[in-house]
Amino acid sequence: MLPKFLYHAPETIHEALELLNKYGREAKLLAGGTDLVVDLRERKTRPKAVIDIKRIKELNVLKYEPGRGLVIGATVTYHQILEYEPVRKKYPVLWEAVKTVADEILRMRATLVGNICTASPAADTAPALLVYDAVVETASKNGGRKIPIENFFTGVKKTVLEEGEMVVSVTLPEPPADAKGTYLKAMRVWSEDLALVGVAALVADGGKDVRLAYASVAPTPVRARKAEKVFREDGDIREKIEKAVELAVASVSPISDVRASKEYRLHLVKTFTRNALNRLLGVEAVVVA
Amino acid sequence: MLRSIKVVLNGVERTVDVEDHWTLLWLLREKLKLKGTKHGCDRGDCGICTVLVNNTPVKSCLVLAPEVNGAEILTIEGLAKEGSLAPIQKSFIEHSALQCGICTAAFVLTGHWLLQQGDGVDRKRVAEAIDGILCRCTGYRQIIEAIVDAARKK
Amino acid sequence: MKNFREDLKYVGKPVPRVDSYEKILGVAEYTGDIELPGMLHTKLVLSPYAHAKIKAIHTEKARKASGVVAVAVGDDFPFRVGLYVNDRNVLARKKVRWAGEPVVAVVAETLEQAYEAAELIEVEYEPLQPVLDVRDALKPGAPLVHEELGEYAHSPAFHPIPGTNIASRFTLKKGDVELGFKQSDVILENEFMMPQVSHVPLETHTSIGQYMPDGKIKIWTSAQSPFTVRHILSVSLGVPEHKISVYVPYIGGGFGGKAGINFEPLVVMLSKMAGGRPVKLELTREEQFITAPVRQGLYAKLKTGVKRSGEIMAEKILYVYDAGAYADYGVNVGRAAGYSCTGPYYVPNVETESLTVYTNHPWGTAFRGFGHFEFLWAIERQMDLVARELGMDPVEFRLKNALLPGKTTPTGEVLREDAGRIDECIRAVASRIDWGKKPVAAAGKPRGKGIAALWKAPAMPPNASSAAFIKFNEDGTAELLLGITEIGQGAETALAQIAAEELGLPVEKIKVVPFRHTDVSPYSWQTVASRGLFMDGRAVQMAARDAKNQIFDIASQVLRVSKEDLVLSDERVHVRGRPEVGLELRQLVNGYVYPNGNVVGGPVIGRGFYSAARLTYLDPETGQGYPALKWTFGAHAVEVEVDPDTGMVKVLKLVSAFDIGKAINPAIVLGQAYGGALQSMSLGLLEGYFYDEKGRMLNPNLTDYKIARASDIPEEHEVIIIENPQLDGPFGARGIGELSMLSVETAIANALYDAIGIDLKNLPITAEYIWKHIQAKKEKIPVEAVT
Repeated sequence: MLPKFLYHAPETIHEALELLNKYGREAKLLAGGTDLVVDLRERKTRPKAVIDIKRIKELNVLKYEPGRGLVIGATVTYHQILEYEPVRKKYPVLWEAVKTVADEILRMRATLVGNICTASPAADTAPALLVYDAVVETASKNGGRKIPIENFFTGVKKTVLEEGEMVVSVTLPEPPADAKGTYLKAMRVWSEDLALVGVAALVADGGKDVRLAYASVAPTPVRARKAEKVFREDGDIREKIEKAVELAVASVSPISDVRASKEYRLHLVKTFTRNALNRLLGVEAVVVA
Repeated sequence: MLRSIKVVLNGVERTVDVEDHWTLLWLLREKLKLKGTKHGCDRGDCGICTVLVNNTPVKSCLVLAPEVNGAEILTIEGLAKEGSLAPIQKSFIEHSALQCGICTAAFVLTGHWLLQQGDGVDRKRVAEAIDGILCRCTGYRQIIEAIVDAARKK
Repeated sequence: MKNFREDLKYVGKPVPRVDSYEKILGVAEYTGDIELPGMLHTKLVLSPYAHAKIKAIHTEKARKASGVVAVAVGDDFPFRVGLYVNDRNVLARKKVRWAGEPVVAVVAETLEQAYEAAELIEVEYEPLQPVLDVRDALKPGAPLVHEELGEYAHSPAFHPIPGTNIASRFTLKKGDVELGFKQSDVILENEFMMPQVSHVPLETHTSIGQYMPDGKIKIWTSAQSPFTVRHILSVSLGVPEHKISVYVPYIGGGFGGKAGINFEPLVVMLSKMAGGRPVKLELTREEQFITAPVRQGLYAKLKTGVKRSGEIMAEKILYVYDAGAYADYGVNVGRAAGYSCTGPYYVPNVETESLTVYTNHPWGTAFRGFGHFEFLWAIERQMDLVARELGMDPVEFRLKNALLPGKTTPTGEVLREDAGRIDECIRAVASRIDWGKKPVAAAGKPRGKGIAALWKAPAMPPNASSAAFIKFNEDGTAELLLGITEIGQGAETALAQIAAEELGLPVEKIKVVPFRHTDVSPYSWQTVASRGLFMDGRAVQMAARDAKNQIFDIASQVLRVSKEDLVLSDERVHVRGRPEVGLELRQLVNGYVYPNGNVVGGPVIGRGFYSAARLTYLDPETGQGYPALKWTFGAHAVEVEVDPDTGMVKVLKLVSAFDIGKAINPAIVLGQAYGGALQSMSLGLLEGYFYDEKGRMLNPNLTDYKIARASDIPEEHEVIIIENPQLDGPFGARGIGELSMLSVETAIANALYDAIGIDLKNLPITAEYIWKHIQAKKEKIPVEAVT
């Protein structure tokens, strides 16, 4: 049973912005709805108007151009992303992350932009966007902004978006030529779960350009820049990995909740970071009996 | 706000009046009296309200009724054609792939969709496709077998 | 012993379920689908406190809200209901006893209006100290959940202790436990625990009640046991049973949670307030978690004495069940665990105390397995721990102590000759898992094997009974009327097969009436306890034979032969040895009509019943007596793989064996085995009520109360059906419903020791819990310190 609201389905960005302006904070944008409808039902939000942007054709762009990167429109579903071959080839971290989101039925409905706008600390796609240095493109009556993803999240379920502003797309620049990457996610079950911890790792430039980002270990998805810097320097690769692991742990601040304890999350950050880096940097894992 | 929407529901074009804040599930069950679609959690976790919208499985508790304006909707009531069961329905019976039955429509419709998605429908693929739907009775094994077998016979 | 007929035509065959077509077409009726003229809708206002005085309830605004027909508070219903202990309010009175207890019910024309009005209700509380752990609840001076316990009426089978939180105390004494310990070479003590869990039926509890001004009551409800609903309501309200009608269509999963009586009294009383209009309550998923009854948690303490040679000499047992706020089924769970307390092993000296204790948690009820899932976790872990202490193989140790026919159970009952065979079950699963052969581990992922056994008898009053009707139609087809409900277990199909076999009538020619209505359905005590196939099966057999006798009465007159010389097969009655001399069934079942219009006989209606034979109440002090209609045995063996980085466990192979006497429908038995095993794994590895320090549930949704999904099932599951027939069972059958969900998680825990040397004593064994044990082992921290 949802509370009453007015439903709008604009067909252009312009119309959507008119509506956003009209209702201000009392409007909620609807894409896949997999977060919004739940919040409505639980009375976590009681907007006057719900603005469905799925009928705005220009928001459903999903396009990769060599050199220019990948553009993901605001209404592109996870399913579309998984089916789009260039994503799997050029942005494997994103592809792997998307593959872990919820279940297949929800992935045919839910959108990546919706995921980042909800700004849950557990957003699976956020660490992937962080390691690809994605840029969020917005529109508003006053024009638009291009916001680096690292500046987009400001707290638990909070973003820099302002009243009357909407995300139009997310752009992932062309990744470095030799980039390899992975997304490791801890879940309570094998089937589907929110991330207890999500680790995105990308390695390029012959192992000098290493990027690490995390979900569910801080109020926002975070990038571990200090840990990344370790690989810019020379030295033994195993030592560097261990140092990076320590710095990664230092850059997160997980809490204990019903899903996992702080200690378990810290352990997962450690072990997943190490496993990802070992694999991507071609280091044989040492099996400790 | 009350508004009129047009849908093709189980093959029949219809105009229906909906309130803005209704979900598709509410529309189907409470207004159109299609009780074969079940109500389980209202937050997209259990998936027993799954129906096909434009031939794609969706959890109808997460869709607003006005959103389906212009869409084709298939519910369990529309699957059997001219008195004969769809192959997926026959397979569920043959494999004893149901118990209490409350989740059955969701699995059958998702299975029906999967059969149209081309080859490679093995157990792993089926399990992944139905991970969004909960069943507390069967342990899923006979459901998976029913879908795999229906795909094999196609 | 396999002396049963081999020439069965319908029994033993995987015939399609009789409820398949309706369910596959989406037309099967469930309570939530029912719409009645003038039906009203209910929204509950729940307590946010685990324990608090209700100081004031402000309902004025809600009463004035649009569409509101009635607003009810606890004092509107000054009576209690209870299955065994009469302790439960329809809505909370004076105080709330758990976070989630209904305090106010708002009834309105539409559900939306009920929701809107419910938001206008204000309740003032004065928080009290809650009791959130059974061990705390037992401490002297603990806050009392029920101050008036001494005033409650209760069944003589249970023993509440006024002035404490003990809702019932069950004690059992067999032999001399102290002597047994003296005779033992090794004594091992351990404690085990598990939290409350939810049944998670995918259909939430749904009830519609109508209390008409002439005093008649009608109920449409998702209840497993319509006759119990009627009986308890009759007692609570003082309304005679013939004025109460309970209608139960298909049920969307029960697992025990819809047994007994739940929200039916509430909707009935709300209807009375609403002038007799039908009132519907359908719980939301969140309410299903925090307001509907749950399965008890358990704290267990075992002390086992064994000889070096492996014989168990003595067992001292303490089971403490967390009943939550109301006793309901919990007291009987405590009793059932008490008399089955040792598991499927012969123990000469036993002393058991099984307590059911009130706390400020949601109230507990029956859950598939009825206490056995819980205590078998303790027993079957302990078996492995003791075997290890002795340096004995766990399979060998179990076989050595197996409770075989001729030996005595904890209640002093001599296990009957035709009981199932635990040893065969254990040997079967051990053989199929290649017991003794070390599994080959994949890189960095240790593997291990484990075994656990199980047993269970139906927990029911000694006089529990079932009845059945078979009603023939003019064309020779028949209707089978049952009292047992169809909750998914397949009772309708199996019972139709039994009727078909007895009558020589194809299953397709028997319609099982797909609802229960206390006005017209035959009585059946309850749809619980894995008793339906056995007891209702016997009733169906008797009804079929009664119908057959009536048919032969008519045929013997027409054919002018003695009834003894008649044969019924393939829908035809003929003279033995002379198949050409006979009559079609349809010529007989509505009376035989001669060409001149004379008629012999009339419509055939068969009636049968079965009452449990030779059961007794148990001695209130020693627990000795005969509680068990049948004992069913089983065992599971698993091979698991562990990821030591995360603690995630994968079940590579599960082998289950059950001695069910006879598989009436092997496809349905498989479904029970697969489904029960996954429920067991899900409860054991994932599920639990987690509370904050104030007693509020932290995970009241399916996002954070995880249950197993399709990708979580064992990679392989082999089911072995053993058929040592029970001679008084229908075609030798015992039933399987609950058995399949016992002990799987324990076999997994035992395999985890084999894989990585950790000893788990608490459920659920989540990945994190396993990881913590791996860490503790590395750092040599005692297991008890791992939480």
